[in-house]
Amino acid sequence: MKTPLRFALLGFVLGTALATVPALADPLTIRIGYPGVGADNRPFASGDIVAVAHAGHYVEDEFAQDPDIKIEWTFFRGAGPALNESLAAGHLDFAAGLGDLPSIVGRANGLKTRFILTDKVRDTIYLAVRPNSGIKRVEDLADHRLSEFKGTNLQLAADKILAAHGLSERNARFINLDTGSALAALTAGQIDGTFGSIELLGLRDRGIVELPYNTKAEAVNFGRHSAFFVTEAFDQAHPALVQRVVDAFVKAARFGADEANRSAVFDLWAKAGYPPQAFAEDFENERLANRLSPLIDAYVIARYRDQAAHVRQYGLIRNDIDVDGWFEPKYLDAALKAQNLENFWPKYDAEGHKVTIGAVEQTQSAAR
Amino acid sequence: MSEIAVVMAARSVWRPVLMSLVAPALLIVLWQAIVATHLVAPYILPSPATVLARFQNELDGGTFWGDVAASLSRALGGFALGAPAGLAFGLLLGLSRLAGRLFGPIFLAYRQIALFAWVPLLSLWFGGGEAGKLAFIAISAFAPATVNTWRAAATIPAPYRELSRALIFGRLDHLRLIALPSALPGILTGLRSALIHAWLATVGAELFLDIAPGLGGRLNEGRDKFEVDLMIVALTALAVLGLGFSQLAAAAERRSIRWSRR
Amino acid sequence: MSRHATAFLVPALLFGLWWASASEGWLPQQLLPAPMAVWDALADTAASGDLWADLLISLQRVGEGFALGALAGLVFGGAIGLSRTLRTLLNPLFLLLAQIPPLAWIPLVILAVGIDEAMKVTVIAWASFVPVVLGVAQGIRDVPARLRELGRALTFGPWDLVSRIVFPAAVPAIFTGLREGLANAWQTLVAAELFASSEGLGYLISLGRQLFQLDLVLAMVVVLGIVGLAVNGALALVERRLLRWQTIAP
Repeated sequence: MKTPLRFALLGFVLGTALATVPALADPLTIRIGYPGVGADNRPFASGDIVAVAHAGHYVEDEFAQDPDIKIEWTFFRGAGPALNESLAAGHLDFAAGLGDLPSIVGRANGLKTRFILTDKVRDTIYLAVRPNSGIKRVEDLADHRLSEFKGTNLQLAADKILAAHGLSERNARFINLDTGSALAALTAGQIDGTFGSIELLGLRDRGIVELPYNTKAEAVNFGRHSAFFVTEAFDQAHPALVQRVVDAFVKAARFGADEANRSAVFDLWAKAGYPPQAFAEDFENERLANRLSPLIDAYVIARYRDQAAHVRQYGLIRNDIDVDGWFEPKYLDAALKAQNLENFWPKYDAEGHKVTIGAVEQTQSAAR
Repeated sequence: MSEIAVVMAARSVWRPVLMSLVAPALLIVLWQAIVATHLVAPYILPSPATVLARFQNELDGGTFWGDVAASLSRALGGFALGAPAGLAFGLLLGLSRLAGRLFGPIFLAYRQIALFAWVPLLSLWFGGGEAGKLAFIAISAFAPATVNTWRAAATIPAPYRELSRALIFGRLDHLRLIALPSALPGILTGLRSALIHAWLATVGAELFLDIAPGLGGRLNEGRDKFEVDLMIVALTALAVLGLGFSQLAAAAERRSIRWSRR
Repeated sequence: MSRHATAFLVPALLFGLWWASASEGWLPQQLLPAPMAVWDALADTAASGDLWADLLISLQRVGEGFALGALAGLVFGGAIGLSRTLRTLLNPLFLLLAQIPPLAWIPLVILAVGIDEAMKVTVIAWASFVPVVLGVAQGIRDVPARLRELGRALTFGPWDLVSRIVFPAAVPAIFTGLREGLANAWQTLVAAELFASSEGLGYLISLGRQLFQLDLVLAMVVVLGIVGLAVNGALALVERRLLRWQTIAP
């Protein structure tokens, strides 16, 4: 009786030890992470270059002839913070569309990445409030209950909007909720308002919220920014692959920024579960290229320096970070050159004034 | 005479069964009444019929069985990681007075910390994917296994110890022939407790970490989409599985004890 | 070496390793922040007043929820313990519902009562309720038959029987149930605050996670450990005092 028991215990221990040995993978998997999910948690993005690339299979097409290379996308409901955790644990090679706050926080805490492409700049933030809350302006938010997704670039944008209107996180009660929970809480009337983007337009159409404020008319630096990062480890190991991935994204950016493709782009984004009309409204009187530019120009660099200072000022990070050493434009430059796109996008200076004209500004959308 | 006995026997068997169904039945009636009179907002409480239909839906098609399988495999995987470690640690603490004095206090201090406080730490260390979930489930199984094994190994009855001394058993023999068999019931209780804790932690892991197949994920999904019928289906599945787990674990423990006594 | 000294040996060793790892850089700072960083995080939240405010709110929530759940548990447990009819009627449903971890109820409770205090108190109350019921029922079951017979021989009425025989004999099991209920309540509090909160210890921990501030998370883990020790210690003291007059049933 004793011997079978001993063998059973031994087998038990051995079995568990074996179970923890990771499977050795022969094909190389390129692991791309995106900080967000579509409607109903579906694994799709919208509103930026990455969304075009993912929905349009640009990266998969680039590597279609390489049987040894697989592309794996992961969409994080927990947005930037959850993506950062995955990065820190070594589960990702690329962070696609990571927002400014989480990327800055990650860098401040020792995550080693290279900023190789911009994904989106200057997007619009909306304030959504319950219809009978009496909130007509940002100043009215004092003493109300709002949700804020801590650690995401939405938090930073929201903080700046509040600061510009004389409020801070201490004036209103901020509850940490992810996007899905925030929408549910709004619908159930458990919070008075939240900041967000196009996912709020659908709620407004259903009469659940009003949108008394958005950043369209404000100074340019209220918008959010997101960018495309590669881990230093992957960069050192596979620079050629990094270049090809960047090539694919630049192709996607070329498609997405062209006004002639306007409705096609909205249809691609609609895979995230939002109707194309929502994107049309979000981009009303705004050219696609205004947000979808992969360039790392003086404007982007200045914005990130600026955001880093704000993040430090709001106490969200404890030490200063070196922003300048972060950017690695060589892959982007090579891709632009190879695809003859060096003058496609306009370049902006640090204050946001256009310095050079881009060919994309000549493109016209079909129906007007 | 025997007919009366049969009737009485049947009554005594059926009566408790029927009575235990009264409360759930009343609950469903109350539920239907609340729905019919629109006492609460429709999105908070769907009718029993809706929930039943959802059950049907999920069991036939959908990802339900995949979710159950995912949750179960996570629970068992985390258990397989944490319980043996707890067992080994508990044996160490129980069999060696020195080890007990050295490592015991810090283990007891560790136990003071609420289990869920470890979720953010583990997700920062292992990411929010499978690794993080398994890590959380493993540590939830660790403590119960340790505690029970420690107690069992530390309280080997004096007669057994004397026997070991009389027969001049070496360390290994003492372990094999005296300590382990005597501690076995406690060890099995520890494993049973660890299994139940692992199952409870699985739901927590799925609710707090990244989206993946699993019953916790369905709960979140139901909440986001205001599909209370889905949430009730998920909760019922949890209840039934939980019941199954504890019954299974208890039965296994009973059998092992009986087997070990032979 | 005295018993108390050995207790600190391993913790001191671990702390030394931690300190060395931080200063020598064995592990990156995002995996294991330096002890000083954790101390700073702790000091910062204490100095800004956030720590005390959040601690108070967490304790308040546990207090309210536990009081509610324990009271209800004593009543319900007593009812099903003493009445076989009630037990047969209610026990199966109760046991089935008790299988569901309290945490799993949170999404549903949020839909019903919102994300505020009501949600937390409700879930904590349920988490306390279950072990207390089980403890009371067990305690009543454990009352030796001889004592019950004694009561009947002394022609005690039902009230006397319960208050002078059953209840005192059941106290140890009841107390175990209360103890477990409090532990459950505390666990559930942290989980509920991680879910949706704007204040509380759990909120601070989840904020630390969102902002990748491992030192803040670790600082809060330490605080939880200390609070847990204090609460358990207090409860153990009360238990010892209460049971001092209890004689072990032969």
